[in-house]
Amino acid sequence: MSDVTPPRNLSELFIGFLAIGARSFGGVMPWAYRVMVEERRWLSAEDFTETIGLCQFLPGPNVGNASIVLGKRWFGLAGSLVAFLGLFALPFVWVLTLFAFYADFAAGNPALRAVVTGVGAAGAGMFIGTAIKLGRPIAGNPAALAIIAACFLCIAVGRLSLVIVLPVALGLSLLLARRGWL
Amino acid sequence: MLLEIAAYFCVLSIFSVGGLPSVMPEMQRYVVEVKAWMSPAEFMQAFAVGQAAPGPNMLIVSLVGWHLAGLAGALVALFAMCGPAAVLAWWASGLWDRFKDTPWRQAIQRAIAPIVVGMILSGGVVIATPDATPDWRLWLIAGATAAGAVLTKVNPLWFLAAGGLLGGALL
Repeated sequence: MSDVTPPRNLSELFIGFLAIGARSFGGVMPWAYRVMVEERRWLSAEDFTETIGLCQFLPGPNVGNASIVLGKRWFGLAGSLVAFLGLFALPFVWVLTLFAFYADFAAGNPALRAVVTGVGAAGAGMFIGTAIKLGRPIAGNPAALAIIAACFLCIAVGRLSLVIVLPVALGLSLLLARRGWL
Repeated sequence: MLLEIAAYFCVLSIFSVGGLPSVMPEMQRYVVEVKAWMSPAEFMQAFAVGQAAPGPNMLIVSLVGWHLAGLAGALVALFAMCGPAAVLAWWASGLWDRFKDTPWRQAIQRAIAPIVVGMILSGGVVIATPDATPDWRLWLIAGATAAGAVLTKVNPLWFLAAGGLLGGALL
């Protein structure tokens, strides 16, 4: 991919991320890939995967982090801010509008509430599917399975606060990784 | 109220390794169980709207903010949720490239993977179980969607639509 050309100026960057946010029905990641790698050719597929890899590991929304990292790479702080605002501007307006409409209609409409609850359950199912896909490569490792099970028991069953669970789990997990068990 | 929203989501931001799914159980615990800012049903429906609308699903935090304090609450919640993580991303992106092939970067990656899986799995189960007693209909929709997401490459929007239809028929 030698024909990769980063955005030339901030307005190009803003429009690009606006396009990602505007079209990102059903998940932002596929649209980020399509706009930045396939349509605008801002970066190569390998570069995209590498950047997303870092962003998945960091806290925060993946593509939100990617907007910060890529904006910084191309235009410094201004780039990060512009890319982030471009990404969130339209979805922010839409989600609030949708929610406001929904709140108005749902009050006297149990059928609509049932549909939206069904959508929520499907969204929960998407999470479970994502966990299965991410877990498959490490499922053969007993230490990894033990950590997955322990996290699940503490968070979903015991309803412990993440503020306690995450640091403890991270400490234990790092110890196991250092010993070569993970 | 705005300060409380800002403080809570700033903390949550730092813990959101793996994105929104990882912190959903914690957010549900705090917003519904600890603070009673929303009922379990309201929270699930805000989640559903956040999933169905285009854009990063992290925007559900702005729906919680909106519910509590209108537009200002929505903006404060969003920036609090993204701000600390964004600062970290800004700072870490240079470091990460510099230590690309070092053993500790690989150890961290291996250590985090199972935790993220456990957190996301919890997120799905907690959302599908909004009340104390599990509803088999919600679990059926969630289980079918999970299977579809794992076995096919269909656009997730179709699963959300199917979930909506099933919800309308069953609930």
